[in-house]
Amino acid sequence: MVTRAAGLEGRIARVLRVGTYGAVTLIAIGVVVMLAGGRSPLDVAPALDPGHLLGDLVALRPEAFLWLGLIAVLATPAARVAVSVAGFWRAGDRAMATIAILVLTVILLGVVIGLAAPGPRPSAS
Amino acid sequence: MGIALLMLVGGVGVGIFGSLLGLGGGLLIVPLLTLGFGLPLRESIGVSLVCVIVTSGASAGVFLERRVANLRLGMVLELFTAMGALLGGLIAFLLDERLLAGLFAALMAYVAITMARPKRREARPLPARANGASTADSPAPPDAGTAAAAAEAAAATATPTAAATTTPAAEATAAPPEDGFVARLSGDDYRIRNLVPGFGGSIVAGVASALLGIGGGLVKVPVMHLLMGVPLRVATATSNLMIGITASTSAWIYLIRGGIDPYATGPTAIGVFVGASIGSRIAHRLDVRALRLLFTVVLLYTAYEMGRRALGLS
Repeated sequence: MVTRAAGLEGRIARVLRVGTYGAVTLIAIGVVVMLAGGRSPLDVAPALDPGHLLGDLVALRPEAFLWLGLIAVLATPAARVAVSVAGFWRAGDRAMATIAILVLTVILLGVVIGLAAPGPRPSAS
Repeated sequence: MGIALLMLVGGVGVGIFGSLLGLGGGLLIVPLLTLGFGLPLRESIGVSLVCVIVTSGASAGVFLERRVANLRLGMVLELFTAMGALLGGLIAFLLDERLLAGLFAALMAYVAITMARPKRREARPLPARANGASTADSPAPPDAGTAAAAAEAAAATATPTAAATTTPAAEATAAPPEDGFVARLSGDDYRIRNLVPGFGGSIVAGVASALLGIGGGLVKVPVMHLLMGVPLRVATATSNLMIGITASTSAWIYLIRGGIDPYATGPTAIGVFVGASIGSRIAHRLDVRALRLLFTVVLLYTAYEMGRRALGLS
């Protein structure tokens, strides 16, 4: 019987908590800046441009905070799985570590497929 | 500013009522944005996926720490929900929005009927306060109660023989613990069975999540509880833990392909998060039977509107 991954649940819980509350904080700041700038949620936001994200944050553009918050939301579950890989591996549970790596691979595949086949904005369809 | 505040307030309302009734966030967010604010259906589904990840994140941590959720089983099934979500995320951009609206209308009608059915005993959603300790800082898990109700409804319609063979408690005492992969996925007082069919059910849950913007608990909880022999409480908590991976796999595709607008997502996500937190604080003080009846009517009306949209009548 493989040793229980001691404390793994606690570490994962911390990742989920920090990721979720961090993301919510970024999104909340983005909403406040958006409202202060007189923008409507029904306006079409500028597309995500990772190269300009930092500059837009410094310039206090609402979409920068919102995009970063959304990325944090989506990255938190993957971070939780990454922590699981390390935890299972240290506990000697190679099978579970492998499964966790496969989960990360499927998520990464989604990102790659999304990038490879960019589609039109739904609002334009 | 007016629309942003309306969206925020609408999100708070959806979060509160979703939390009180154990309804999945997506089930209410998508109609709110589509019928209430005129957003395209596919964009509403993308926003909804983000909202269900946010609301499940904090509560999943709480239930993991308390060892209610089965981390290992969740991880194994997540591999298949993620594969389903990957498939669903790709299909979603190929389907006509009217077909998506039709699927959504059918889902809402099913949930409304499930809620309206008299129960032999009240389906017990995952408590907002587990083990007597407060979880008030965390939103209630999405679709906990509805998924539990669906699992109980399915159990109620099963044949006596089938019901007898699918009782987790009976299964827990039927076989001694054994070493091996299945044993490692099992809990102290229950043993997992039907692992491979469970994989199939998980793929279906992933596809449904990606197509309709829901957490997928409506499929996952019955699969784990009835098919795999997981106690309802553990199945609900594990399903909540799995929402993040299930929804984020397709949400990445939506985000990259322009299916998530940050301006519309921001106020809605904050509203739903705050509303779910409020709902988890007040859930134990309220009698939700009247709310359940009210929402059955609301769900049926919304299903009707979505059905009209599917048929091109609105």
